[in-house]
Amino acid sequence: MSSAAATGRRLDPQAGEVIDRGSPLSFRWDGKAHTGFEGDTIVSALMASGVDVFSRSFKYKRPRGVLSATFHDPGCTVQVGDEPNVRAAHRRLAAGMDVSPENVWPSLKFDVRAANQLVGRFLSAGFYYKTFMKPQRLWPAYQKILGRFAAGGVTAADAEHGYYDKRYIHVDVCVAGGGPAGMAAAVAAARSGASVLLVDEEYHLGGHLRYGGEAELAALAELRAEVAAQKSIEVMTNAAVTGRYDMNWIAVVQRQPGISVRGRSIHERLCKVRAGALVVAAGLIERPYVFEGNDLPGVMLSTAVRRLVNLHAARPGDKAVVFTANADGDACAQDLRRIGVGVTVVDARTGGNIVSAKGGKRLKSVDLADGRSVDCDLLVTAVGWTAATPLLNMAGDRPVYDPTPARFFPTDRLPATVVVAGALAGDGSTAELIAHGTAVGATAAARAGHGSEVPVPALARVAHPELYRSTTHGFVDYSEDVSSKDMFAAKKEGYDSIELVKRYTTVTMGPSQGKLESVNAVAIMAEAHGVTDLNEIGTTVWRPPYVPITLGALGGRGFENTRFSPMQSWHEQHNAKPLVAGDWIRPEHYGDAAAEVAKVRDKVGIIDVTPLGKLDLRGPDVPKLLNLLYVNKWSKLAIGAVRYGVMCAEDGVVMDDGVTGRLAEDRYIMTTTSSGAATVWEWAESWLQTEHPDWQVHVTPVTTGYASMNVAGPKSRELIGRVVEGVDLSNDAFPYMHVRTATVAGVADCFMWRIGFTGELSYEIHVPAAYGLHVWEALFDAGSDLGVGAFGVEAQRIMRLEKGHFIVGQDTDGLTLGFGADLGWCIKLDKDDFAGKPELVLQSQRENYQRLVGLQPVDPTIVPAEASQIVEGAKKIVGRVTSSRMSPTLRRSICLGFVEPHLATPGTVVTCQLPDGRRVQLKVIEGLAHFDPAGARMKV
Amino acid sequence: MSKVRYPAKYSALGLIKHGLMKGDWPQVWRHHELKPSYDVVIVGAGVHGLATAYYLAKNHGITNVAILDKGYVGGGGSGRNTSIVRSNYLTPEGVRFYDRSVKLYEGLSADLNFNIMFSQMGHLTLAHNDSSLRTMRWRAEVNKLEGIDSDVIGPDEIKKLVPYMDTSENTRYPIVGALYHPPGGTVRHDAVNWGYARGADIRGCEIHQQTEVQSIETADGRVVAVDTNRGRIATRTVVNCTAGWASLINVMVGLKMPLVTHPLQAAVTEPVKKFLNAVVVSGSLHVYVSQTDRGELVFGASTDPYASYSMRGSLEFTEELAGHVLELMPGIAKMRLLRQWAGLCDMTPDFSPIMGITPVEGFLVDIGWGTYGFKAGPVSGESMAQLIATGTTPENIKAFDLARFPEGRLVGEKGAAAVGH
Ligand SMILES: Cc1cc2nc3c(=O)[nH]c(=O)nc-3n(C[C@H](O)[C@H](O)[C@H](O)COP(=O)(O)OP(=O)(O)OC[C@H]3O[C@@H](n4cnc5c(N)ncnc54)[C@H](O)[C@@H]3O)c2cc1C
Repeated sequence: MSSAAATGRRLDPQAGEVIDRGSPLSFRWDGKAHTGFEGDTIVSALMASGVDVFSRSFKYKRPRGVLSATFHDPGCTVQVGDEPNVRAAHRRLAAGMDVSPENVWPSLKFDVRAANQLVGRFLSAGFYYKTFMKPQRLWPAYQKILGRFAAGGVTAADAEHGYYDKRYIHVDVCVAGGGPAGMAAAVAAARSGASVLLVDEEYHLGGHLRYGGEAELAALAELRAEVAAQKSIEVMTNAAVTGRYDMNWIAVVQRQPGISVRGRSIHERLCKVRAGALVVAAGLIERPYVFEGNDLPGVMLSTAVRRLVNLHAARPGDKAVVFTANADGDACAQDLRRIGVGVTVVDARTGGNIVSAKGGKRLKSVDLADGRSVDCDLLVTAVGWTAATPLLNMAGDRPVYDPTPARFFPTDRLPATVVVAGALAGDGSTAELIAHGTAVGATAAARAGHGSEVPVPALARVAHPELYRSTTHGFVDYSEDVSSKDMFAAKKEGYDSIELVKRYTTVTMGPSQGKLESVNAVAIMAEAHGVTDLNEIGTTVWRPPYVPITLGALGGRGFENTRFSPMQSWHEQHNAKPLVAGDWIRPEHYGDAAAEVAKVRDKVGIIDVTPLGKLDLRGPDVPKLLNLLYVNKWSKLAIGAVRYGVMCAEDGVVMDDGVTGRLAEDRYIMTTTSSGAATVWEWAESWLQTEHPDWQVHVTPVTTGYASMNVAGPKSRELIGRVVEGVDLSNDAFPYMHVRTATVAGVADCFMWRIGFTGELSYEIHVPAAYGLHVWEALFDAGSDLGVGAFGVEAQRIMRLEKGHFIVGQDTDGLTLGFGADLGWCIKLDKDDFAGKPELVLQSQRENYQRLVGLQPVDPTIVPAEASQIVEGAKKIVGRVTSSRMSPTLRRSICLGFVEPHLATPGTVVTCQLPDGRRVQLKVIEGLAHFDPAGARMKV
Repeated sequence: MSKVRYPAKYSALGLIKHGLMKGDWPQVWRHHELKPSYDVVIVGAGVHGLATAYYLAKNHGITNVAILDKGYVGGGGSGRNTSIVRSNYLTPEGVRFYDRSVKLYEGLSADLNFNIMFSQMGHLTLAHNDSSLRTMRWRAEVNKLEGIDSDVIGPDEIKKLVPYMDTSENTRYPIVGALYHPPGGTVRHDAVNWGYARGADIRGCEIHQQTEVQSIETADGRVVAVDTNRGRIATRTVVNCTAGWASLINVMVGLKMPLVTHPLQAAVTEPVKKFLNAVVVSGSLHVYVSQTDRGELVFGASTDPYASYSMRGSLEFTEELAGHVLELMPGIAKMRLLRQWAGLCDMTPDFSPIMGITPVEGFLVDIGWGTYGFKAGPVSGESMAQLIATGTTPENIKAFDLARFPEGRLVGEKGAAAVGH
């Protein structure tokens, strides 16, 4: 610990300080108790109580302290409770926080892995590519060791997920950055009548004015009052614009927004903003200098020192060297003198330079270019700025380097609705920056439809020395431990473009994503190539997010669809076992699927089929649409008739099946599979909207508009007769594959059709959803003496397999064309055109496709697992079982499956390999149906 | 088979020597002037192009080869992918082919004298319902018949392999089982690209970065030259290895193939201490995840639903991704997403590649690599090199020929490659 620690490093009250000395907070750091004040960051509180080292570096485990004192500070990442990688130079202190250093071993003070430094020269960047190749089997062991060095905190499997929410915001103007230019832009836009969202990463508006002198603080007070006076400005602090996407779709992450929902506070919130115009006023980020020892605790940027001193009243050291190339460095030196720190100024503008910094856990001395060595515990550098251009980059710009002011500037490639304000555009006094922001704000408002554009005054580009590296080597990327020497070596080795060197050395790939390092990396590459124009090297592309976002905030509250039918309460009361089927949760069975089958085959059963996709089709051109979508013919469907249809995609692959009935002259109802409901609707719409906008058809998805139930079994007619009014149910009047509209159990506007997925006489009744439970219960009341019972999906699957009805997606796959699924009987190649026809024509001329067949195990007690392979010889695959069950009706195992054409002849016995390796024989049956192949039972 | 000596062999000893003497390592690959003609011109310096050159030189002694890339080595999909290597595919042809690649990967660090960091941490494809469990069973059965280590396991075993996984029954998409493939894992993609580049370079093949093919000249139905921004090259053999850009090269010789380019996005988090020791894929939730040695989680998903040559990431992608990952592992909500990116994928209708000869003589393709082609780099390079050297299509890529489309012999891998690449 340095001497300052003993005396305490908290300064007397400072003019612009943000701490509340009346509210002390106690917290723990590395197992020990500390106190700070409300308004402190974790780091400022620790600095004030004498802590210098907050982390160990990634590769060499070097001690690291404060560098930038911002969110991006690479050495200030800590663990807080169960939260890893907390930015301690940004995160506000809270009472009771348990803060610990990350990934130190055994401790922060003494990390044995720091021995790596001694062998550093052998561990050049990318060293791991060059060793551990042989023997291959030892690689996992090496890997474990490398893994020990991985940076970052810890997570826990059972860590609290927390509550997250999202917010949508629609504003005229979004301002990214709340410094003087951003604040002025917001005020001007608001005055033009625009609604404004003003976002800043820090806890308070004001940017660099906050830690400036008297004049800056006065200007800030005025700006704050002006912002506060504008009702149409929403200010969001401790929030960052993380991404700009097409049409100003903007992501803003709000950290610890202080919002609670039902007693749970939101950790982070993602705000999704659609803005008419975006003002980018993100300002400048101070750039570190590359020299030997530039990562020692005690080497800080001028802005870091000014933040610590002026905002948090924390003394950063006792004796300082200030290496300055600009007014901000000069101001920092003045601040230090004011608080009584002895300062040696090294002025870059008059040729001064620093060569190296010496020390261990804290800086001890600095060697200067003039040969002096100065003892000190603080070295401040002020060597220039990185323009915060990521948002511009995301808006399509490629900023260009200007050597005179020594930084990158936006070009005119930006869309009109993205405008740049403040220091990103140039240099100026506070008044000039405010004037610039004001004009840009009005312009942005105008481009968002409020007021009119005003001329934007040009900001000067003030000359600044190009200072990137001293005569020694130092760290370019602190979080990755990449030095300028590593980059030179990588260039020599052939990783000579910025993209390759980035990948090889991992420079700029760490948690700050290059915000501090990027331009230094480009400059070092330029130096290695011997070129002076940084534009020849280029920059790497900034990708979103601008700052990291928690997964919780991105995921937000789960909005996964969960659908239940109106009869769900009944199912729950009757102990239905839930089955997750995509969006839907539905009954798999009510205890005994085989008994449910017997009930349907002998008496009558009812199944809830609400999830069936249902489309209401209206208009004179519906038959045209049906002819296009289905492979069979639809021109002559009479009113009151129902037909089964199959759809194929354009590649001829079976896509969906179902029935469509004609209820009236211009009204049809189409049903789809439950899982295909959305796909088929989109499919129909895309044909109508892109190919046939002239057709008069209107498609309305009504899946959840109707509760659907299938009443099946020999006694179903009798049961239906007791609840249906006004329909002659006799087989002659209402035959198989017909539809009737009816009043059921007093509910009007129902329709029902006779179809036969189960193979029994059955009526599928579709009831306006609100009455679903009523009709369902009425059916059970009416049928108690008939022995009626509910059946679930499993019983239905068994019965459809007994009948040989395939299920799309189970008994067909992504390559099953129509003819392969035994659909030759319904594919009408003589139709003009339909989706998939060309491919099906081709298939009809070939023989080389697998066929769907009915299969029965020779041993009737064996049920081959679905997906068991059908084989010839040792391992030649010639088919597979797609569905299999024990049939309660036939008291034997039954299957559907695919086989090669030479095995498809009825009577052929094929070999099936079970998952446990046993082989069994299956016999190909005639047709697909195992039970009642003629369909007599459903046509009575 | 040609043996070469690297001017500076990579080894622990070498690192020490270079460290002590402060000597420079030689260039991984060199820069050259473009020659007026080459025996073989490979378009695209991704893993496919580089591996093809490497095996041409190493296995067949053909070294008058130029690999041209409009950008830098590995700047396409080969430097943007999530590097999953596995062989638990669905069709016997696919399984055999990808298994050969796994075998080559197992020996590749030693073969290339470049540590490609193949970590066979195991690969889990989750099933959340009975239909996906059926697909897993299907893959397991085909895999086992082909001798691949692959089987269906239940929730308890999954929990043992991945303790962070929520395998309880009361989740929105309960996990009912998984296909477990122990040899599956990840490699370091850059290392593979650079290792092949170095190996091809040392054997005499020339890598030309910043060299864009702008047109291809044909005469009498055969290739005679390619034109680039750096000049014309006479050649009788051109290999299209441009993945996401493949259609643009095909049209230069007047060919159209069933390829559609879609963006595919990926993302990475900040590092945390290692806790995930398997690649985890969920088809139903459209997400997969693995953890690197550096501690970052690498995420991927299925392709963007529209055709595009744009490589920009979207916000919606990260939202959906995070939501779904948290369904699987609720404990990591406070981890932060660090970076997202996108690459281009040349999708075929059956999720299998198009490899081999084309109707234009001398114009060969190794394309259609969609979302799954990185793992196939080694075997594709080996097979394409054999085809170029011998003029005969090797057995293991016959099924992937262009003629399978008109002839209805698709090699359907969608069930094994749509989400888990
Ligand atoms: C996000 C993402 C995740 C993925 N994950 C996986 C995974 O986990 N496992 C897996 O196996 N696969 C994965 N893939 C797929 C895999 O990346 C690709 O299939 C594979 O890298 C293709 O390699 P390639 O060498 O054929 O092409 P690429 O690596 O794309 O190389 C093509 C090259 O051609 C160059 N080129 C293009 N046009 C021209 C021209 N006119 N002249 C000269 N050069 C040209 C390009 O610059 C490019 O460098 C993923 C892909 C993406 C995008």
